[in-house]
Amino acid sequence: MMHANDGADAPYWNGLAEGRLLLPRCRCGDWLWPAANHCAACGGEEIAWVDRPMRATIFSWTRTWHRFGLTESLDLPFVSIVATIDDCGIRLLGRLDDPDQLDPVIGEAIAGRSGATRVEGRDIPTIIWSRG
Amino acid sequence: MHPLYGTTAVAGVGLRQYKRGASPLPEQAVLVEAILAACADAGFDPADVDGFVSYGDDKNEPVQLMPALGTRELKWSSVVWGGGGGGVAGAFGLAAAAILSGQASAVIVFRALVEGSSGRLSAAVMAHHLNDHMLAAGIVAPAQVCAIRANRMYEHHGVPASVAEELVRASYYHGSRNPEAVAFGQAFDLEEMRSSRWIAEPFRLFDCSRENDGAAAFLMVSADRARDLKRPTVYLLGCANGAEKGWGDLLENDDEALYPTAGFRSIARRLYADTGLSPADIDVVQLYENFSAQGVASLIDHGFCTYENVAEVVRFDNLVAPTGKLPVNTGGGNFAQGFIHGIGTAYEAVKQLRGESANPVPNAKICLLAGGPGAPTVSSAIFGSEVP
Repeated sequence: MMHANDGADAPYWNGLAEGRLLLPRCRCGDWLWPAANHCAACGGEEIAWVDRPMRATIFSWTRTWHRFGLTESLDLPFVSIVATIDDCGIRLLGRLDDPDQLDPVIGEAIAGRSGATRVEGRDIPTIIWSRG
Repeated sequence: MHPLYGTTAVAGVGLRQYKRGASPLPEQAVLVEAILAACADAGFDPADVDGFVSYGDDKNEPVQLMPALGTRELKWSSVVWGGGGGGVAGAFGLAAAAILSGQASAVIVFRALVEGSSGRLSAAVMAHHLNDHMLAAGIVAPAQVCAIRANRMYEHHGVPASVAEELVRASYYHGSRNPEAVAFGQAFDLEEMRSSRWIAEPFRLFDCSRENDGAAAFLMVSADRARDLKRPTVYLLGCANGAEKGWGDLLENDDEALYPTAGFRSIARRLYADTGLSPADIDVVQLYENFSAQGVASLIDHGFCTYENVAEVVRFDNLVAPTGKLPVNTGGGNFAQGFIHGIGTAYEAVKQLRGESANPVPNAKICLLAGGPGAPTVSSAIFGSEVP
């Protein structure tokens, strides 16, 4: 299994751990996700990690009710989402606050804060999203 | 004509299936039984099998089977990459490639799964794909991965969620009439399905396939050789495996139009082009449905319907044999025939084309096997009882 900090996306993880959202962009303008050390569009290798605000829209979602192994630290039910980050189009997996169990709406604007999910004794950085 | 078209065939099949956790034998022994059954079915000496193909991270390396089978010489052992069931149909193409290129002459396609030997399938599939992006979002199971795609298909692309129920009902209807199915003899209770517990929205328990212990094996040989063996010949007419740009293992960053699909658009395109066949030529479909929505998406990808008319096509009455125009999962499918990583769908394809299905489709000559949907690498195949 791939863990944080040992792949092309290491700056993403290190940024989240510091409360920042850093995403990779090639000099040609393409955002690269999954992260890569090489841009397939232009062949370039000058990849900059750019600070982005944690603002996004909901691309899709699921609310999990079954207690799957490795989710023990999360209260059931919990909502997982795919969020489209504003002004760059990269989609990220994350969690959505779900206090009233209102179904998320695709396209809905959301704002994020850095957080973590505890899995088998490790705190994995993530973005916790809220509506509005 | 494409080199795969009608040049190899399935000459024998074998299936052993048990309730999950209830296999009387360890995984490798169940697999050996299924292979011996496939050879006996064909009237073929198992010692003359010289090739093996599997998929989905099967744990039974063919060389270990040689003593039990009496194998004289192993010439080909390979797998289709991928942790999910996306490779089930592609395995037949790989076996055909070995035979047509002269690298082997009698190839067993197989999949074996016994929980006591290799653990839960869902956990194994996810171990293949899991990463910290998913773990941090609480996404740890195939049901959740597919649920997110399903919600997008329903909500953004306007597919009515009610079609999933039609597909599930058809599978259970066929399974209840199939003596080899886990659901044999069981009445399907629609209210029980509708009120079954949530797993991951939009999926309730009945939207999910449930694992079984067992193994299935298929003996593939050249078409000429198959005609000399004792069972009716089931020809491989075409097979496509892979992924197109914008689909795959992309951390949810698939092409926006491909995202809610099951990943088969390029597969279906190639399969129909290579065979000269079209959806209208398909008499019956064996559809790998890990989850209900992905089964529906697969039918759309394979050209049987569109986002717009899916509700007119994916109707219970239309999906059941012998009267439906699009009979699907005539053995019961993964939902109701049994789920040994989808290999049962291939088994029913052969049974149906040999006229041995418990739910026969009148005059069925062409069967589509649509492999595991939603996997990063997917595959499908077309089989025929004759070469049109």
